[in-house]
Amino acid sequence: MSILEKLSLKAKEHPMRVAFPEGENEKMMQAAYECAEEGAIFAVLVGDSEKLRALASERGLDPEKFGYADLQDESLIADIIAKYTALPDTRLKEKALRRRMADPLYFAMVMQAAGEADVTFAGINYTTEDVLLAGQMIIGLKEGISTVSSIGLCEIPGFAGSEGELLAVGDSAVCANPTEEQLADIAISACETVKELLDWEPRCAFISYSTLGSGQGPLIDKVSAAVRIAQEKRPDLALDGEFQLDAAIVPAVAAKKVKRESAVAGRANILIWPDLNVGNAGVKLIQILGHADAYGPLLQGFRKIICDCSRSAPVSELKGNIIMSAIRAARKGE
Amino acid sequence: MDRKELESQIFEMISQLYKKDVSELSLDTTFADDLGGASVLMVGLVSEIENELDVMIQLQDAAACETIGDLVDKVEEEL
Repeated sequence: MSILEKLSLKAKEHPMRVAFPEGENEKMMQAAYECAEEGAIFAVLVGDSEKLRALASERGLDPEKFGYADLQDESLIADIIAKYTALPDTRLKEKALRRRMADPLYFAMVMQAAGEADVTFAGINYTTEDVLLAGQMIIGLKEGISTVSSIGLCEIPGFAGSEGELLAVGDSAVCANPTEEQLADIAISACETVKELLDWEPRCAFISYSTLGSGQGPLIDKVSAAVRIAQEKRPDLALDGEFQLDAAIVPAVAAKKVKRESAVAGRANILIWPDLNVGNAGVKLIQILGHADAYGPLLQGFRKIICDCSRSAPVSELKGNIIMSAIRAARKGE
Repeated sequence: MDRKELESQIFEMISQLYKKDVSELSLDTTFADDLGGASVLMVGLVSEIENELDVMIQLQDAAACETIGDLVDKVEEEL
C-alpha cells in the first residue's frame, strides 16, 4: 500500500470540510469530487453556486456531492463576518472584509478562520503569492513563527531510512533565503507538520556542507546559529546539526563524523535545507536520480491549514495534496 | 483628506505597528533598512490602511514601496 493509499484511509476516519475557491476549474472540481465521493473530505465549492452546480452536471458529476458557499449569500456572509471579527488578532474590519470577500480565495479563508471550513485548497489558477498573501492577511501566522515555509514528502524507492522509503524535506518551495531565525522556524514548523500528518517522532537535521564545525565560513555559521535558536525555542524537539547530508541519514557515516550523542544524526526523518537554491536542487535530485515521488508543498507556519497546489498538478496529485491537508487539519482539531 | 493629514495618519499607523516613535519617522524612512522589513508587519499595515482609510492596496504593491513616502504616494493615488 502506497503512502497516499494509507493517508486516504486515515482521512476517511475524520473527514474534514475543505473549501475550494477554484471549483470552476475542471481539474479542481474533479479532484474535490473524487475525494468527497471516496469519503475522505466534505468538499465545499466557493463561488456562484448555481453556476458551479451547472458545471458539475455538465461534467457528469453529481452536484449533490458538494456543499456550496455562494459569494452572494448575504446571511452566510453576515454570519462568517460576525464570527471572524469576534476572533482575537484578526486584521480586517467588516467593510474591508466585504470588499475582499468578493474574491473566492478570501471568502474561503474567512470561512475557514470563522470555523466554517477546516482547509482552504487553492493554487490551480491563483499564484503562490496570491495564496500566501491572503493566508497572511486572513488566517495569520502561528504564534512564535516568523515565516511561511513548506515541506515536501518524498517516497524514494529502495531508500532504507529511519522511516523506510519516506523522507520529509524543506523548504524547497517558499522561503528563498531564510535568516537564521527563519531557518529555525522552518525546522520547528516541519516537526509539527510531520507529527500532524504522519504521527512520526520528528528527528530534524539542518543540512550544510559541514558536520559540526568540520568546515568554516558564513554559510555554515547561519546554519549552526539556526540550530541553536531552534533548540532554545523548542527543547522538546529533536533538532540537530549542522550536518552534511550523509551524516544526517546514513548511520555508518554519522557514527564516523558525529562524535557526540545525537538523537538525529544518521537517522533524521526531516532534512532542512539552508536555502532555496539547495532545496530546489535537492528535491529535484531526489525525484530524478532517486526516482522518487515528491508530495507537496505542504505549507506551514499558518494558524490553520492552507494548501497551495502546483498550477500544473494533475488530478491525482491534487487528490494527494487534498488528503494530506485534510489529515493535518484533523490533527490540529484534536 | 489633504496630503499632510494622510501622511500623519500613515505615520501614526507605522508608529504603532513597527513600535517606533513618530518623531523617528519621515517620508524617507525605508521599510527594509530602517524598519526591519518584516513582511508580517506589512500585512498589518496594509490591513490598517484598508480599515481606516478605506483604500485597498495590494500587498505586492505595498511591499514594492521602498520608503514611507512611496507608500503615501500609492495610497494617495487610490484615494
